[in-house]
Amino acid sequence: MQTGMQARKYRLQGAGLDLALPYLMLAPGLMVVLGVLVYPLWDGLRASTRAYRYGSPVADVGFHNYVQLWSDAQFLNSLWVTVKFVALSVSIEAVLGFALALFCLHEFRGIRLLRTVLIIPMVITPVVVAILFRLIYASDAGMLTALSEAMGGGGVQILGNPLNAFIGLVVLDVWEWTPLMFLILLAGLQSLPHEPFEAARVDGAGSWRVFADLTFPMMRPVLAIAIVLRTIDAFGTFDQVFVLTRGGPGEATRLISIYGYDTAFKFQQTGYAAALFVTIGLVVLALAFSAIRLLRRIDAS
Amino acid sequence: MSTRLARILTTIFVLAVVLLPIYWLVSTSLKSNREITQEGTLYPHVPTLDNYVRLFTEKQFGSYLTNSVVVTFFSVAIALVFGAMGAYAIARFRLPFAAERKIGLFLLTLRIIPPVVILIPVYLLMLSLGLLDSWLGLIATYTAFNVTFCVWMMESFFREIPVDLEEAAMVDGDSRFGAFRRITLPLAAPGLAATAIFAVLVTFNEFLFALALTATPRAMTMPRGTATLIGRIDTDWASMSAAGVIGALPIVFFALLVQRHLVRGLTMGAVK
Repeated sequence: MQTGMQARKYRLQGAGLDLALPYLMLAPGLMVVLGVLVYPLWDGLRASTRAYRYGSPVADVGFHNYVQLWSDAQFLNSLWVTVKFVALSVSIEAVLGFALALFCLHEFRGIRLLRTVLIIPMVITPVVVAILFRLIYASDAGMLTALSEAMGGGGVQILGNPLNAFIGLVVLDVWEWTPLMFLILLAGLQSLPHEPFEAARVDGAGSWRVFADLTFPMMRPVLAIAIVLRTIDAFGTFDQVFVLTRGGPGEATRLISIYGYDTAFKFQQTGYAAALFVTIGLVVLALAFSAIRLLRRIDAS
Repeated sequence: MSTRLARILTTIFVLAVVLLPIYWLVSTSLKSNREITQEGTLYPHVPTLDNYVRLFTEKQFGSYLTNSVVVTFFSVAIALVFGAMGAYAIARFRLPFAAERKIGLFLLTLRIIPPVVILIPVYLLMLSLGLLDSWLGLIATYTAFNVTFCVWMMESFFREIPVDLEEAAMVDGDSRFGAFRRITLPLAAPGLAATAIFAVLVTFNEFLFALALTATPRAMTMPRGTATLIGRIDTDWASMSAAGVIGALPIVFFALLVQRHLVRGLTMGAVK
């Protein structure tokens, strides 16, 4: 069987000019990727080992930039804020998304509307999502203030207070990305086999037992994929913060991407910023690869 | 009966949470600045389209929209052609040292790295090529990002099409490339369309690179232009909300067109 398929693949490859065809078909795309993604990646690595002044390299400093990162209080703080933000947002999204998916598993009227509406938050331009939430939080024009005043209260202060601003950012992310969790997990739930659930019903198992013994264990791989994808994505969050708080007040919402951007474009420390970004890239890749290995192990067992 | 009530209540709650912020955006965009900041009304008492008019007469939103459309169109079109060919090669050919699989994995790896990681060197590259603040600089950047995505997504579509059909065409005298163009490509059309629309969503929404690579209405895209409305001290809520509505409308429309394929795109094909 295996060799038969192999032979067929080779036969399909043809002869003459057709032999060069795969290379010709791969070449244009690869050239663009090499020029605009891979070369900059390498250039970024090179920049990260240099010191810059006024945007030009002035000295080779080896790993100095990388070492310096770990004694930079602002970097460590932005790393901490990012980890807090990612952990909090992604876990809330996973729980809410899972609950919503379980809720929508049984067809009922209105479910199509619900699914359609839930697509909106994750496709709206992130910049506009941030505007939406500025319009909710603003102390003068905000929806919260308007509602509070309509009920006889005073103005509401969100973005001026460090803790509230951070929570406000998490709420934004949850609003924007819970729908994605929901859609992935719903697709996962719908692809589960029916038999175990029918057997459990015949045995008279309660709905909590069914969830704990059947649904949750069977959903673990899909749940893991969803969480990994969201985590990787959340690490790179930039647009929403840039427009919502610009990292403030103080450093309360300054994610690592914002700090890196400011280091490069506001403070012109190109080499240092490059080292920072290379570090983020490595962290995310390490995360992704360990997640893939973990998934393989779940699959195997 | 009680589960039915719970369902209705939950549905209403979720709809409200999603739609209220959007209602507030649209409602704000129809108010005057005075009504927004001083009266704090819950709905526009004196609805006006002034904010929208002002965007186009005073704030150059015509340029931003044109730039967005041009940049999105070219970067998606080019990436789609290059990506379809690359994806097909990876899906169908077996190269020495399993090179095609390695290239596929390599493109996926590039896709996992957050784009912000290469922001600085891409900026330096465009600076040295004199492509800052130009359509070409943005198109080149977005094309590259889109190629990694298109290859990955379209490869899975091509794999679902049986090889037998191409074999039959080749037995009938078609060349290898002819079989791809005349048989496989049309069959993969729905997948191509889904990939294209998804690439449009991502490209139209992109902000970070537009922020770093553009500086004037000559090349600023919609999201980039919208961000210029956010002042340091004063915020022009009226213009900002109108800009938000204009920026969101085409994208929501596009997204609803491809609902079915959206999850696949958003999860890089991990979930169908």
